[in-house]
Amino acid sequence: MARRLPVYLLIDTSGSMKGEPIESVKVGIDTMLSTLRNDPYALETVNISIITYDKDVNQLLPLTPIDELQMPDITTPDSGPTHMGAALEMLLEKVDKEVNKGTPTQKGDWMPLLFLMTDGKPSDTLAFNAVVPKVKNSPFATVVCCAAGPKAKTEELKQLTDKVYQIDTLDNATLMKFFKWVSGIIGEGNKSMGATDEMVLPPPPEEVNVII
Amino acid sequence: MSLFSSLLDKVGITNTTLAQVDDFEKWLLTDMWNKYSDERMSRRIVVENQIRDLKIRLTNGTVNKEYIQEISIPSDLVKEMWMEGFEELGLSVESSDEGKFIIKGKPCKAGDFDVKLCFKTKEWIEGESTSSISIPVAFNPDPRSLWKGIPTDRDTPFFKEDSDKCYVKVEAREHGDPRKDIVVASQRGRSHAQEGRPRDDHFSVCHCDESDWYILSVADGAGSAKYSRKGSQIACETVVSFCKDQLKSNEEFEAKIKAYQEADDKNAAQKVVGDLIYKILGTAAHKAYKAINDFAADKATKTDFAGIKTKDFATTLMLAICKKFEFGWFVASFWVGDGAMCIYNVDKNTFKLLGEPDEGEFSGQTRFLTMPEIFTDATSFYKRLRFSIEDDFTALFLMTDGVSDPMFETDVNLKSIDKWHQFYNTLRAGFPNDQIGGVVLEDDNEETKDQLLNWLDFWSPGNHDDRTIAILY
Repeated sequence: MARRLPVYLLIDTSGSMKGEPIESVKVGIDTMLSTLRNDPYALETVNISIITYDKDVNQLLPLTPIDELQMPDITTPDSGPTHMGAALEMLLEKVDKEVNKGTPTQKGDWMPLLFLMTDGKPSDTLAFNAVVPKVKNSPFATVVCCAAGPKAKTEELKQLTDKVYQIDTLDNATLMKFFKWVSGIIGEGNKSMGATDEMVLPPPPEEVNVII
Repeated sequence: MSLFSSLLDKVGITNTTLAQVDDFEKWLLTDMWNKYSDERMSRRIVVENQIRDLKIRLTNGTVNKEYIQEISIPSDLVKEMWMEGFEELGLSVESSDEGKFIIKGKPCKAGDFDVKLCFKTKEWIEGESTSSISIPVAFNPDPRSLWKGIPTDRDTPFFKEDSDKCYVKVEAREHGDPRKDIVVASQRGRSHAQEGRPRDDHFSVCHCDESDWYILSVADGAGSAKYSRKGSQIACETVVSFCKDQLKSNEEFEAKIKAYQEADDKNAAQKVVGDLIYKILGTAAHKAYKAINDFAADKATKTDFAGIKTKDFATTLMLAICKKFEFGWFVASFWVGDGAMCIYNVDKNTFKLLGEPDEGEFSGQTRFLTMPEIFTDATSFYKRLRFSIEDDFTALFLMTDGVSDPMFETDVNLKSIDKWHQFYNTLRAGFPNDQIGGVVLEDDNEETKDQLLNWLDFWSPGNHDDRTIAILY
């Protein structure tokens, strides 16, 4: 089997995402998939997993090659907390299980990429604080967090990574541009890592604000 | 009297005009017909929703790749079923009575499509329209059709040609046996060609006519380092030129090799040769490191390259020197990074790796010549140096991971003679299914370099890095 580039998407599905926001996220992911499917290298290497989190955490899509991938239904409850800490716990467990490490008998995958999106902040603060150091110690090639909409907080996300971005609105046009940019980052992740420790991200579109 | 007047009369409605009766008839029938149609429609919709709730999904396919998919629909829901929309996608549908469909063929178009599952419900009556639901299906493009070969811009700093090849023909001396030749080819990876990025691999080889030493080097510039193409070039050129200078007429070295061969106390003699190997190959590697360092430092003073560092030139390096003595071939090597370097003998069923590839837990992690720790840790540095005396061999291979990854995949395979046989066969046979010819390793045949460069275009999913291979045979 060829080496894979694992990409994990952590999507906030708390009540506030109901309606246009989550529909726009779906359209955004679809755009991303079709962009990646037209990139020959991505088509052969990129594998995607989707984990959603509200009061429950679900791996809606286990790590799947994009050529076989079919978008699952993403649903949101009417209201409730945002268990981002629990989602990150599940993420680490899945990465450990799904991503191949190089051994004498098997080729290692590329280091996984993580994209996390929220329109709020973690409600399970204790769990979140406990999992942050573990995420930081995990071998992600890059971690990109996106705080979406007016109520999204960036302080917690900044503990996870220095790559925190903000978008003002969760509408179709903005999310399409956002996920198009994400496809670009994934394309970048396909290039050999190792000599430089930090992955350089392509410049974000103007709708995406960089949080310093 | 009309039928309707008599019916009205029967229930005591009399004195109606003809126009009234006509109007009543129209009103009644239209109303009842609408009610009837609505009910027929809603019963149909119930069945359509039942079918929709089955959530029939077709697996994704790929253009030009055989596709086969079977779906079944419980036949108690409907009485007749067929599918529409597959023909224009290049697929055929076979159906059976039990509600089973087999869709097969090679998809001819890429994209997201909707095909139709059409059916008549159990209650369908002649004249009514039939039902259909849309089923989405996605076909991926054929990855091979998506690759673009964008030439590298010649104004790119440190430009190099997108491919390179070389044949070093060493003819037999008068009345002597045929002597080995070197063939090398280096091809820019498709992932680089896709974006018009330059080739990062490099090689440099030579044969010292004066002393009959062969010197081969191959380097893989790190994909993530901005100017690694120059790093790999400096590394190869520096080590080959230094070794050439050292080996032109090095009687002391050759005497020590002979002494080692004849020595009773192999350990002591081994140390002597080892020290000389260190002096030649170790120094060559260090000089290459220094040369890259100096180059980077010098460039950093220029405005165009401000802030440039040695690691922007990160590269791996494989270096081998060999010479034929009366008692066999002396082969010495230095290796840092991934790839493969190996002496292979098809007849004797043997192979010997000239070191260990540096590989991390994840793809793309390796070590580079440009890392200072390569030289500061003496023990591990010594391990990178190897020498031995070998019987004659079929070939000495030096290849970057762009070749060794798709050909061997894992470390365990790299240490398997069967895999080396398989590799050698693939090299000679080529890839007939992809119309890529093999390489004829024939003495003094300069065309070999063209065959080898062409061979490097082989297809392997997910493996599209630069590919370089040097062969002494």
